[in-house]
Amino acid sequence: MAKKMLEVRQLTTKYITRQREDVYSVDHVSLDIEEGKSLGIAGESGCGKSTLALSLMGYYFPPLHYTSGDIIIDGKNISGLDPDVVRKTVLGSEIAYIPQAAMNALNPTRKIGRFIEDVIRAHELPMDKKQIREMAEQRFALLGLPVDVLDKYSVELSGGMRQRVVIAVSTILNPKVLIADEPSSALDVSSQKMVIKMMKDMMAQGLVKSMIFITHELPLLYNVTDDIMVMYAGQIVERGSAKEMVFDPIHPYSRGLMNSILVPEEGTRDVKLTAIPGTPPNLKHPPSGCRFAERCRYATAACRFNPAAIIDFDIGRQYRCNMSVEKLREVYESEERNS
Amino acid sequence: MKSTLRNILHSPRFMVGFVIFMTMVLTVLIYPYFVPRNPLLSLGKGFLPPGTYFSVYDANNAPTFRVELPEADTNRLQNDLPQSDRKLMLDFLKAKGVDTSGLSSGNDKIADLLEAWKANYDEADVKSSKYEGFTTQAKRRALAKLDKKLNDFLSNASMKVIRGEGEDLQEKNVSGTEYTRVDQLANSVSLPLGTDNFGRDTLTELVQATGVSLLIGLIAGTVATLLGLIVGLLAGYVGGLVDDILMFVANIFTVIPGFVLLILIYYSVGQEARGIITCAMVIGLTSWVWTARSVRSQVISLRNRDHVNLSKLSGHSLFRIVTTDILPYIASYVVMAFILQVSSGILAEAQLSLLGLGPKTTEVPTLGLMMNWAKLFGAYTSSNAWWAYFPVILVIALTSFSLNLMNTGLDQVFNPTLRE
Amino acid sequence: MTKGMKKYFKKKIIWFLITFVAALILNFILPRLMPGDPVNAIVGKSISSGAPPEQVQQQMEFYRRQFGLDKSLPGQFLDFIKNAFNGTFGVSYSQYPRKVSDIIGGGIWWTIALQLPAILVGWILGNVLGAVAAYKRGFWDKVLMPVSLFFSAIPAFGAAVILLVIFSVNLGIAPANGAYDPGMIPNFSWSFISSVIWHYQLPFWSIVLISIGGQAVGMRSMSIYELNADYVKYSRFLGIKDTKIVRYVFRNAMLPQVTGLAMSIGSMVGGALVAETIFSYPGLGMAMYSAITQSDYPVISATTLIITIMVLLASFMLDIIYAFIDPRVKAAQFD
Repeated sequence: MAKKMLEVRQLTTKYITRQREDVYSVDHVSLDIEEGKSLGIAGESGCGKSTLALSLMGYYFPPLHYTSGDIIIDGKNISGLDPDVVRKTVLGSEIAYIPQAAMNALNPTRKIGRFIEDVIRAHELPMDKKQIREMAEQRFALLGLPVDVLDKYSVELSGGMRQRVVIAVSTILNPKVLIADEPSSALDVSSQKMVIKMMKDMMAQGLVKSMIFITHELPLLYNVTDDIMVMYAGQIVERGSAKEMVFDPIHPYSRGLMNSILVPEEGTRDVKLTAIPGTPPNLKHPPSGCRFAERCRYATAACRFNPAAIIDFDIGRQYRCNMSVEKLREVYESEERNS
Repeated sequence: MKSTLRNILHSPRFMVGFVIFMTMVLTVLIYPYFVPRNPLLSLGKGFLPPGTYFSVYDANNAPTFRVELPEADTNRLQNDLPQSDRKLMLDFLKAKGVDTSGLSSGNDKIADLLEAWKANYDEADVKSSKYEGFTTQAKRRALAKLDKKLNDFLSNASMKVIRGEGEDLQEKNVSGTEYTRVDQLANSVSLPLGTDNFGRDTLTELVQATGVSLLIGLIAGTVATLLGLIVGLLAGYVGGLVDDILMFVANIFTVIPGFVLLILIYYSVGQEARGIITCAMVIGLTSWVWTARSVRSQVISLRNRDHVNLSKLSGHSLFRIVTTDILPYIASYVVMAFILQVSSGILAEAQLSLLGLGPKTTEVPTLGLMMNWAKLFGAYTSSNAWWAYFPVILVIALTSFSLNLMNTGLDQVFNPTLRE
Repeated sequence: MTKGMKKYFKKKIIWFLITFVAALILNFILPRLMPGDPVNAIVGKSISSGAPPEQVQQQMEFYRRQFGLDKSLPGQFLDFIKNAFNGTFGVSYSQYPRKVSDIIGGGIWWTIALQLPAILVGWILGNVLGAVAAYKRGFWDKVLMPVSLFFSAIPAFGAAVILLVIFSVNLGIAPANGAYDPGMIPNFSWSFISSVIWHYQLPFWSIVLISIGGQAVGMRSMSIYELNADYVKYSRFLGIKDTKIVRYVFRNAMLPQVTGLAMSIGSMVGGALVAETIFSYPGLGMAMYSAITQSDYPVISATTLIITIMVLLASFMLDIIYAFIDPRVKAAQFD
């Protein structure tokens, strides 16, 4: 079995609002990624996937706070470490982050090269200015980025270039885990393609050992990641391989998500597009039963009171529902026959 | 629209500013009904400190009158003052060495005894001097108690005021606890903020000046905002040559400081023509530039939005496109700009007046003119008359504070990203 | 220099020249639009009321010639330009025959000595205060910000008057007016310099106080905007120290504040009007004030022209400097 790069056990984090209310937007999340693998996280906006990305970094600042759980990177548990130690030894070097709005992620008044210098210095690596410069140049060349970008300010770069620079800077210390939060959603199609290709190449070259890719664009996940995990209201509701998740979703919510998009593959031609009615619950006051019950077509009265637990039902597959897998399959099949 | 309004009303900053501002406006509107006096009426000479004043003429011209203790009170005193107290009084007077030959504890002499007591008893004196027979703490306390009793008695007694002689004799009983309100006296005047150098009631003057200054701010703000809006709309929406020319003018106005322009234009208008309205107009005419610039940039960003294009394709007139497709989108901004313009208009008037370039008027005061008078007549140096300038500064500060507060409140509502 | 930069500078220079000419014309025309004959006023002052009409006439002719008012308007304009460029600015009406340049020369150094340090100190203190308020939040933000909002609402003359009354009239710990002891003659002795410093206090602090409030409010909102910027979060997740990030933030928040600094240095003379008139400080503002009260047009024209040129220069320099120090502006302008 391959080495686990990232292992997360029952991670719970909360936001403290200005009214001093606790909002648990990541609720007992467990996941793991093996070396060389990538995991996609899908869900509607507001389901907690961006918060999960922030929480996985193990470095919290208000309004986000750590509550409980473990984050284990390559066998080393980083939760409970002193924040300054995390900053120096984990961030950027073990686990790296690509933000949602990468367009504005770079300090507009610092040249890219100088910024890379700041990053290296922050980790107290024994390198002088010249060595850092050489290293940055090599890396940019390797990733197919023009070297003169190092002497430019981010405002002088195009959107696509900025995004690629952000990816290059994030991975400059060869992190074991890369967390990318919608890295391509703000870009035009050709820049999107370049960014995706760049990330795939980095994985292939081993610059990045594993990757978590967060997006609401499911077709992208299917093409990029090995596994897909679906989140709803701060919890994981289903996990499986990309193929399984697209063609055989079990949880009614995942099924709703997959049905609301088109995957250009054989067999999807006949699938009808249906959106899920309603919106995710307000996590200030989460429902006491199954969190999806409000919007679930198959929910019984009991679902509103009994919280659903996450269950392994196949190798590498989990789901969170009060109904059995067989029952759900049966319901789906009868529905398809009737339509 | 409804929810925006609700958000505005829920913004604490806006509401605090709004309440302060409206309180001032209401005071300006209501005050004249309570004090109908002409604000520029001269009541005295020079700076009078705050207080209530009587007419000096009346005080000197008051008729003379006699005062008598009525018989009933003398009788009451005879009944209520026991012999033991009278004896104590006599003993004390003797101990102090007062000639008591004409005094006795008899009822007929009681008024004289009382008078002698009042003239000689002093608590501190008794304590320090230790007169014979009154050295102990208890004796002294008895004396103090007696004195208090007599005082109480006298303050509850009434006086007969007799005025005139013979046929015109007028009598009136007045009790020692009777008061009359100062403002019921003929010819008294209450001056909570004193008077200015011309002897004018500062408070009344200040209220009217606030009103006039608000009016100036309002006119200046309206002129500046309207001009800025029109120029901005034309430059932004029409674009091309119109834009170039208008922006050229606007740039000249920015580079040559508004204040300098104000002084120059103001001077060229000439002293005689410098009324309240002219003053306000000139201020408005020199401060439209930044409104115009901001409106222009907002209009440019709106110009190519889908709904505007749709309206254009539908063949709507320029006027209609501007009023229905552009104005509503910049309305919140224009309101905010207007508030700031009013505030800076009031300040501009004050500064101009302070330099002696204020409105030439003898009919109404403005906040700036009040400052200028205070300066010219040495209110803050030789006379040290804080009431003549400090309230004015406070009103100016409160006005701009409340307007700025309203503005930041609106800003937080209209631009939620600024809400931290 | 790139092509974009060249174009940018060329545009700026042309623009500078055009505005300069416009300012010159305005400064010439506006005072002349004023009704009434300025010579009347001077002759009225200098000649006793019982003088024979011929003498009055003669005097008026004399002054007209002296001031060049006998020439046509274009002729007067030429004189005006000539005087502006040779730096004399003509002759003062109220202090005839003193040259305007003498009056201005006497005042401008006092103004610069008073204003430049005061503006700088106010700017620095205000920015530090605003940055701290934005960064610390809590007490600083909740209490100090409304307070500085209120203080920034106090008009400049109000603050000056209050300082004057408290420290000079009531406490008597600072002199009320002038720039030095009136019994002294300016020289470089220690007693004169200490008298200057003594008189410097109040006007200096009145300017500082006013600029602190406005700068602090501006810097605070700029800093809050920057603190919420995406690059802050990103830099944190790259492991960069908070102290370093705070430096990024304040540098970025500070750059736009430079505009305020340059503009207040440029409009120094206009800003000096208030403080100088209240403390009777013998600077350019005071010269302008007395020129206004005495209808001395050449002096008014000259001072307003100086203000205009200073503002013009300040904004021109600002455009140039900005283009180098702030890449955000550079990117927006040079394309």
